Amino acid sequence: MNFGKQLKEGLLTQNPVLVQMLGLCSTMAITTSIANGVGMGVSVLIILTASNVVISAIRKVVPDKIRIAMFIVVIAGFVTCVDLLLQAFVPAIAASLGVFIPLIVVNCIILGRAEAFSYKNGIGASFLDGICQGLGYTAVLLVMCFIRELLGAGTLAGFRIIPEQFPIGVLTLPVGGFLVLGFLIAAMQWALSKSKEDK
Amino acid sequence: MSSEVKAKEKVNMDPQYLIKLTVTLLITCVVVAAALGGVNAVTAETIEEINWENTVNAMKAVVADPDATAFSDALELTDAMTAAASASGGTLDSVYEAQVDGQNAGYAIKVVTSGSQGKIEMMVGVDGEGVVTGVSIVKNAETAGIGSKVMENQNTASGVGVLSQFEGKSAADGTLTVGSNVDAISGATVSTRGVTNGVNAALAVAGAMG
Repeated sequence: MNFGKQLKEGLLTQNPVLVQMLGLCSTMAITTSIANGVGMGVSVLIILTASNVVISAIRKVVPDKIRIAMFIVVIAGFVTCVDLLLQAFVPAIAASLGVFIPLIVVNCIILGRAEAFSYKNGIGASFLDGICQGLGYTAVLLVMCFIRELLGAGTLAGFRIIPEQFPIGVLTLPVGGFLVLGFLIAAMQWALSKSKEDK
Repeated sequence: MSSEVKAKEKVNMDPQYLIKLTVTLLITCVVVAAALGGVNAVTAETIEEINWENTVNAMKAVVADPDATAFSDALELTDAMTAAASASGGTLDSVYEAQVDGQNAGYAIKVVTSGSQGKIEMMVGVDGEGVVTGVSIVKNAETAGIGSKVMENQNTASGVGVLSQFEGKSAADGTLTVGSNVDAISGATVSTRGVTNGVNAALAVAGAMG
């Protein structure tokens, strides 16, 4: 177990969105306001950590042939729990994230980490992997939300920063999501290759 | 994972192995289902309350005197009501009776209609004389900045809110049509048309109830 290394991988060198290119659909769809980003990021972090731990715990009794089916059942169970809890206790977030909460079931980050990490590693390491990868995902969401909400809608967490007539409205539309994500991925790849050269 | 993937892996048909697979999956599903049942038991009531509260708020927005009005539970829908709604291009979702001092003061009718980007769920208030008292949007997926103008009740060229213009209309005005007796928001004709169909459907339902 090495928390520092796993955290660095989750946030930077193995970032789930910008390097592994997982979970792009939800990243583009919901990053129109900071509140959405926080809600989605925390939901994924909780589901990812919980499913990582459970999958790691049952990995020795799961027959290889049906492991994917087992993963999906476990993940779907957690997603439905989170969905119900959000609807009951934070209905505003549930309403604005809408269908993207149930769709976490098929979010590649969670199935991807189950297959690539927690199926092969111990419970402790899988728990940390869930936290670190979840933080990496949340960090990207927040950066996207920050750019798109500030420049696209002129607000931050609902407070108006830029007067109403100036924001670039297209950034809050899907096309803006593609543009911002593209630039972020490019910047990340540039930074990673530069740090490799320096070594 | 197996590092060697053979071109034609022989399927393991050993009955014991198959049973093991089935039982493992079955046990997992049962455990997960039990956990979900537990969570559902905790949250179902709260979710129900929140949904009802949202419905009441939507209904209050469409009646003439929101503070004095109470609402019944959803009424039972008859075939005549659903048929009347479909004939006018909408789908009837539910009908609630509005009561002022225990007297019938009209109905709040929830209909679903097609916008430009999917379904629009809307609540239409109709008073005892079959006159529209208000229109509010419950749920929609219209394009931000275009169709959303209709959903937010922005003013049309004539200076009246696009949803407010339906207030006072009744079956006596005939079928409401964008361009003749309904003004659209420019650029959002399809969304306006969807809302108009919804109002037509609600009026037809009110008519079918007598």
